[in-house]
Amino acid sequence: MAAIVAEKLTKVFNGFKAVNEVSFEVKEGEIFGFLGPNGAGKTTTINMLITLMKPTSGHALVAGYDVVKEPEKVRGKIGVVFQDQSIDRELTGWENLWLHGLVYGVPRSTLRQRIRQLLKLVELEGFANTPVKKYSGGMIRRLEIARALIHRPEILFLDEPTLGLDPQSRAKVWDYILDLRKEHGMTIFLTTHYIEEAERLCDRVAIIDHGKIIALGSPEELKQSIGGELIYLKVSENPSLYSAFLEKLSDIQGVLSVKTLGNRQLSLRVKSASTTIPAIFDLAQAAGVKISEIKYTKPSLNDVFLQLTGRALRDEEASWRDHARLRTQARWRR
Amino acid sequence: MNEFFNAMGVMVYRQLKRFTRARSRVIGSIFNPLIWMVFFGLGWSGLFTSSMAKLLFRGLDYMSFLAPGMVMMAIFTASLFSGMSVIWDREFGFLKELLVAPASRTAIILGRSIGDALTALAQGVVILAASFLLAKQLTPTGIPLAVAIGLLAAIAFTSMGIALASTMRSFEGFNLITTFLMLPLLFLSGAFYPIDSLPLWLKALVYLNPLTYAVDATRYALTGVSSFNILHSTAALALSAVILTLAATYTFKKSTIE
Ligand SMILES: Nc1ncnc2c1ncn2[C@@H]1O[C@H](COP(=O)(O)OP(=O)(O)OP(=O)(O)O)[C@@H](O)[C@H]1O
Ligand SMILES: [Mg+2]
Repeated sequence: MAAIVAEKLTKVFNGFKAVNEVSFEVKEGEIFGFLGPNGAGKTTTINMLITLMKPTSGHALVAGYDVVKEPEKVRGKIGVVFQDQSIDRELTGWENLWLHGLVYGVPRSTLRQRIRQLLKLVELEGFANTPVKKYSGGMIRRLEIARALIHRPEILFLDEPTLGLDPQSRAKVWDYILDLRKEHGMTIFLTTHYIEEAERLCDRVAIIDHGKIIALGSPEELKQSIGGELIYLKVSENPSLYSAFLEKLSDIQGVLSVKTLGNRQLSLRVKSASTTIPAIFDLAQAAGVKISEIKYTKPSLNDVFLQLTGRALRDEEASWRDHARLRTQARWRR
Repeated sequence: MNEFFNAMGVMVYRQLKRFTRARSRVIGSIFNPLIWMVFFGLGWSGLFTSSMAKLLFRGLDYMSFLAPGMVMMAIFTASLFSGMSVIWDREFGFLKELLVAPASRTAIILGRSIGDALTALAQGVVILAASFLLAKQLTPTGIPLAVAIGLLAAIAFTSMGIALASTMRSFEGFNLITTFLMLPLLFLSGAFYPIDSLPLWLKALVYLNPLTYAVDATRYALTGVSSFNILHSTAALALSAVILTLAATYTFKKSTIE
């Protein structure tokens, strides 16, 4: 049985389609990621799956239950870490976990033990009795992950789990997530706009943009889907010889496309860099062009996104917005 | 059913815990009625000494007339403002944590209002204790009844606060509406002066005001003096509590995410 099934899931806000006929399946025990830029519809999709919002149209089954017809059943099976903080800041870390466990009906003696274990897992034992308002952003995120696990959910939803965290905290959160899967075989649905996160964690990734899934598969499959490898080269010679060279480049066997990037730099998409590079050198020599730099990369998910949308899934821009958002939150916190 | 009471209990626990962390808010709601009692109450009671005044306050000195009203004022203010925590919870995202829990939303809202009602009642009890120091004609045997009326009123007014907070959604909106509501409701409740001789149109408003019955019942409990039959005022207060609780449940459920 699939852990999550979404069929043409759609959410319209005042005529604006935030999520547009999204369909996918998440297998049991899988880490499934939604990768997409700000405003792509990731959170809206999660909100429908976790029963916080009703879909405008379409259906979804979570743990076998319909999210609209049996929301209480769904709620009992899932754990959620929201994109924005959702902790009671007046209470201590321990109290937050305690309340959560009680609401989910975990027996008290079991609960005590689980809280101890989980606080240890997320390395917050020393802060159990500190009010959460004194925690850092990274600590709060870790506490929220611990909280989502207290009732041993079958499916864990993580909405941008490492948003706004420093690299160290981020690496830690990744470790917890991978451990969880290894130890409990938990199904995890996560969203992110960090490429590295999707590549490192996910078994399968759906790339979402403007409310639509534009590609879906394992990171490997996705990268292969755009075909081959990328070669960047820089030539340092007389431009008059250069145009003839350019023309001939695309005739080399295995070259899929050639792009000039300006400043005498070129990028080539090729089937296999290791066989094409020697041919490029031969051609350059024959044309009298000198190659000053050459490097090749396998395509990243960013290249996949670029290929499909013509835009880059830029990290810098996104993180700037995240900071703005965290600042607005901080305003309320004092 | 068991799960229902479990979830309710957890919310009561949470509201009480939060209360113990927020001492500064408490001082505000106790301070106000104390100021009124000391400066307004003591001030006027020096003047209201004639037999005419005695008649006006049905044989009570002014301080003893005012004190039950001030106990209720403390409960009323604390209760109404506790609705603010609904807005805090939305702002800080804790509301979402509650909404994805497999617990009845009615249980959550009831637990929340009972928890806040208990904290408001605690503040009323502080004023009650102060009343016995300041007013001479209060009867200690009336305390249990006064506390019971206080709890009922607290449940009614926390529900009112929750309903307002769920409707208004922003701090500004909530503050505006409570400021607009608070003073008229207090002045039209008989807390400060007897309501029997008000003009008819004001009297109509007085009768619609749930606080009127709370004040009158408390005054009956503590002094034996009242404008309504105690059974009538208690019934009216209980009815208000039921209506306001339903309103709180309805608006809270409706105002959740989408
Ligand atoms: N409650 C709402 N009312 C109106 N529009 C909304 C609402 N929630 C989201 N939107 C809009 O829907 C679109 C998708 O939003 P969503 O939060 O799902 O994006 P996201 O992929 O999670 O992006 P982010 O990286 O910003 O979290 C955005 O354009 C957003 O402005
Ligand atoms: Mg989002």
